[in-house]
Amino acid sequence: MSRARFNRRQLLRCASMIAMAPTVPAFLSRMVRAAQPNHNGRILVVIQLSGGNDGINTVVPFADEGYAKYRDKLRLSANELIKVNDHIGLHPGLRSAADLLEDGRLAIVQGVGYPNPNRSHDVSMAIWQTARFDPAEHKTFGWIGRAMDGRSARSDGAPDSILLGDENPPIALRGRRSTSISLAHLDDLKAKPGATFSTALPGDADHDLLAFTRRAALDAKSTAELIDEVAKKSASDASAYPSTELAGRLKSIAQLVKADFLTPVYYAIQPGYDTHAAQLPTHARLLRELGSAIKAFHDDLQTAGLSDRVLTFCFSEFGRRVKENASLGTDHGTAGPVLIAGSGVNPGPFGQPPSMTDLEGGDLKMQTDFRQVYATILEDWLGVSSALALGNTFERLKLISDT
Amino acid sequence: MLEQYEPTSETAWNASRVVHLHRRAGFAATWNEIQRDLSDGPAAAVTRLLHNSPTGQQTDAGEVTSDFEQMSSVICDAAVGSGNINRLKAWWLYRMLFTPDPLGERLTLMWHNHFATSNVKVADVSLMRRQNELFRKFARAPFGDLLHRAANDPALLIWLDADANRKEHPNENLAREIMELFSLGVGNYTEDDVQQAARALTGWSVNKGKFRNYDQYHDDGEKTIFGQRGNWTGEGFVRMLAEHPATSRRIAFRICEQFLGETLSSPDIVDELASGLRERTLDVGWAVETVVRSKTFFSAGNIRNRVLSPIEFVVGAVRSLEIMDPPPSTLLLAEATANLGQDIFNPPNVFGWPGGRAWLTNRALIGRANFALALVNGELHTPSKPFDAAALAASNGFTEAGEIGSFFAQLLLGQEELPNELRQYLETPNRLVTAILASPEAQLA
Repeated sequence: MSRARFNRRQLLRCASMIAMAPTVPAFLSRMVRAAQPNHNGRILVVIQLSGGNDGINTVVPFADEGYAKYRDKLRLSANELIKVNDHIGLHPGLRSAADLLEDGRLAIVQGVGYPNPNRSHDVSMAIWQTARFDPAEHKTFGWIGRAMDGRSARSDGAPDSILLGDENPPIALRGRRSTSISLAHLDDLKAKPGATFSTALPGDADHDLLAFTRRAALDAKSTAELIDEVAKKSASDASAYPSTELAGRLKSIAQLVKADFLTPVYYAIQPGYDTHAAQLPTHARLLRELGSAIKAFHDDLQTAGLSDRVLTFCFSEFGRRVKENASLGTDHGTAGPVLIAGSGVNPGPFGQPPSMTDLEGGDLKMQTDFRQVYATILEDWLGVSSALALGNTFERLKLISDT
Repeated sequence: MLEQYEPTSETAWNASRVVHLHRRAGFAATWNEIQRDLSDGPAAAVTRLLHNSPTGQQTDAGEVTSDFEQMSSVICDAAVGSGNINRLKAWWLYRMLFTPDPLGERLTLMWHNHFATSNVKVADVSLMRRQNELFRKFARAPFGDLLHRAANDPALLIWLDADANRKEHPNENLAREIMELFSLGVGNYTEDDVQQAARALTGWSVNKGKFRNYDQYHDDGEKTIFGQRGNWTGEGFVRMLAEHPATSRRIAFRICEQFLGETLSSPDIVDELASGLRERTLDVGWAVETVVRSKTFFSAGNIRNRVLSPIEFVVGAVRSLEIMDPPPSTLLLAEATANLGQDIFNPPNVFGWPGGRAWLTNRALIGRANFALALVNGELHTPSKPFDAAALAASNGFTEAGEIGSFFAQLLLGQEELPNELRQYLETPNRLVTAILASPEAQLA
């Protein structure tokens, strides 16, 4: 059955029908719920690059004379870069990301940071995650958690955000009212062979709670079947995803999206970017993993007809110093590029690359405040208010396409 | 509505009501306990549930005398020593399984939810333990005593960012939550009250895991809270909260939410209980007893009209099936309840767990079916030890398939007959128990 054939009005009309006939398949009742106000069906996936990604060697300003001046051993030669325009080129490890760019599914915002940059991993990560600068607020709530606080109460019980991985949900997801969970693997959601599910029909209208519970049990049964089906289907084309941890997590997220989970935000962490020594091979591996995982994820969603519902946003707590250090590595720096993937973006580079000669204490000057990126994602993609989440209003960027 | 229950021809004291009592106010009953309470009558059965407190066995010096308490301390000390919060969760599951006072643990959990504090932020197993013991010790106390101690509890203060609470920097987080969630409830204070109360609370802090009240950080100027001017201190402010009528309503609501089904916890009954609480300095023990002994508690409409929380579901299944020698791994039980949506010592936010119908997400119901299977197959034991449903039924004198079906229907659901769609499992008792535990009826109590 094609989902595109239902419009929102039709779905709302059949909501009452479904309330009366609770044996309607779960996916259909979920579509009805998805058609309710405050749920535009759009999904945000955040990938946190932990450790401080060397943005200069990610989106390389090869034409800037400062690049050759400050990067000697770590310089990537212009002919191995994947040219984006006359000024910048992508790290060769980002071949898959470049494919997305050429295909119109990747935006790059250059020189993203904040005033008075902090070079501590913890503090800068807390600033990015909470969008607050006062250390007293760094343990309270995060930008996504606060934004999700503003959504109206939902009865479906789906958490507002899910971290895929072994970590606890980060502060970015913590809200006063909104909820987030972490999920190490999808097995937690699968029915084990031999588990029994009730097939009792709700009936018994005068016992309301029991009828509700029977309906919920039927719904759970069909969700378990759907997840199983989705997992089996993607097991048969497993080759599409590389066998890295990050790709595995994105694959799990894709399965949840395909199973019509109502959670709007997913989060995954790729660690290892703190490259103080022998940076070149490590950084190349990390970017290759990142690019190929994102590409596989969005290709998978595109095949499933879901690519217009998902936006992937990658950030790191800071970039690295302009001048390389004596250990073939780089130390903690300031601004860096963020990547935004999905068929809903206006593709290409945004803003000017930060100058590598006009520096501030040996570091890049930021070009774009990270909260502008957040405001854009919250308002233009998720359709939620950004003012409470960010504590202020910020000028949005033209990152999200209107169509 | 809160007058005492007396059995009538319509509301007879029968096995269904005994099962209801234990599933709603304890952690479910064994077959023998059901038979015992059936013959002892409601007054004795409820008294036993209400007053079987192990704290009664403590000496004045605080020494514990029961084997259970001694074993519990050993496990708890080891958990704290390990610094691993999962072991503290396992300890609490141990208590819930073996306690002679299941109601006390239920109330401890109620306060954990009320003063919802998460170790994800506190990150200190020994402080979480201390808070948990506070909730247990004051579970039935006058609420003002609990509120006061909770407001000075180091884990709670760290959770609400009050560990650096100075007059230049009054912390509104603690001031707001103590009013909105811990005492008055929303709508009973103004934003001005929040700001003024935050000033009164300055100086309260945590240092090296201990509560401190630093005079030099306290704002001793005049404040106006709830229209009353004065040089309010934190203590004075908390006292004001305990005496505020809205607090009695919020506590009455908490208790009703715990023991009355979703349609019965009405504003009228909450008001009735709140007014009794005000006459008795918010004596929680009295309120719990009043509700559990009431006609409303035992009314037909209250039976199976509340969703069991994951903890109640998991602990109740293990206890009623007597899978106690040895019990399943309490670490695995804690993991199971977390997977079902109730990760103790890690509530989702300051509001605690939403509870009620929100427990029944797809994920949680799939998880409950998986849990039932794992429990019956013995996968929660290390090493694995399958449950023997036929043996449990036989030890109580039931050997024929139909009898076994009725035995488990009574034990696990409080009804004489199996739901129809479960009759297909009559010939395989272990599968039958798996299916009963996963049935819609078993999620309610």
